[in-house]
Amino acid sequence: MLRESSQQTGALSSLDLQGTVNPEADTGVPHGNLLTAFAEAAVHQTDALPGLREQIVAELGVQELVDAAGVVANFQRMVRIADGCGIPLDEFTKDATDDCREELGLHEYASAANTA
Amino acid sequence: MTTTAAAFAYPDATWNIPDRIRDAHVRSWERLAARGEWWTGAERVSIAAEGRRASALLDGLPDPGRGPAELPDAAVFTVHKLIGDLPNVSREWYDETIQAEGMSDAHYIELMGVLTHVWSIDEFHRALAIKLEPLPDPLPGEPMRRRPEGLADHGSWPPTILPKDLGESEVDIYGGTKHTPNVRAAMSLHPDSVRWLNDMLDAHYRGGAEPGPDHEPFRVLSTAQRELVAARVSALNECFY
Repeated sequence: MLRESSQQTGALSSLDLQGTVNPEADTGVPHGNLLTAFAEAAVHQTDALPGLREQIVAELGVQELVDAAGVVANFQRMVRIADGCGIPLDEFTKDATDDCREELGLHEYASAANTA
Repeated sequence: MTTTAAAFAYPDATWNIPDRIRDAHVRSWERLAARGEWWTGAERVSIAAEGRRASALLDGLPDPGRGPAELPDAAVFTVHKLIGDLPNVSREWYDETIQAEGMSDAHYIELMGVLTHVWSIDEFHRALAIKLEPLPDPLPGEPMRRRPEGLADHGSWPPTILPKDLGESEVDIYGGTKHTPNVRAAMSLHPDSVRWLNDMLDAHYRGGAEPGPDHEPFRVLSTAQRELVAARVSALNECFY
């Protein structure tokens, strides 16, 4: 999804999808590592969360923080719907992301067995 | 557990919560309190309360307490499984769950709709250090127990409805499109959960009918930034889809 979007906008050709599974990797997205760190802290409710909120506000802004929190909340919901219903991959997704899934090791996830 | 006159007022929030998000949260509480197709309003509020218990358990916080109605054991277990043990949800577990006492495929999907929407609002609050909104008082009424037309096996565990097979009373749920992603169709066994999903997608993520940064002036993060956050959350949950 991320790579498709980036290719469509043409603005982020050096995007490294490893940043979605490896927080140390550079995504090529502006402030990407800060945003993924915030996502991880929010999902796991870690002690880093307050500091990351402040950092996003300082480097990006308050509404950017609210926007990021909305995306975290949205996907905390979507992954549960997807995995709780064992939905199959959409055809267009399967065709477009086969190489990415291999590259990122997503086939190792237990949920891969449910999402044919 | 009370309904305040000004739900989601965010009086002490450090951040300015946009009206479009607040309004969607208010609508969510109205949906939550109302009777469903397969659960009463009291049971729906209890599903939400159990979701909060599951989160508290995971985070080592005090038990916030059960809701106003007793739920079947399988429903309680389902809530805790979906919140705290998602990578180990399996087809075998799903099949056992929907055959348990007090459950069915329709009960499961409505439970999922209630749980995931309320819990995601709670997650929004937790991400921003905003106090959780008290759950609403349930409204009276018995479940309607209507299965929609057009359900069939399309590869998901529960039966789903393709856009071309929607009945008259559900014709709105995919926004008139001829094709819809499987994740949006996943809860079509309970059409109101799809309507709720559409509302929350607009509030938290998508924002408007047309995707892309040029069509979402109220979005301040770029599309790539938002999708990066989305992909990271999916990876942390080990979600293959």
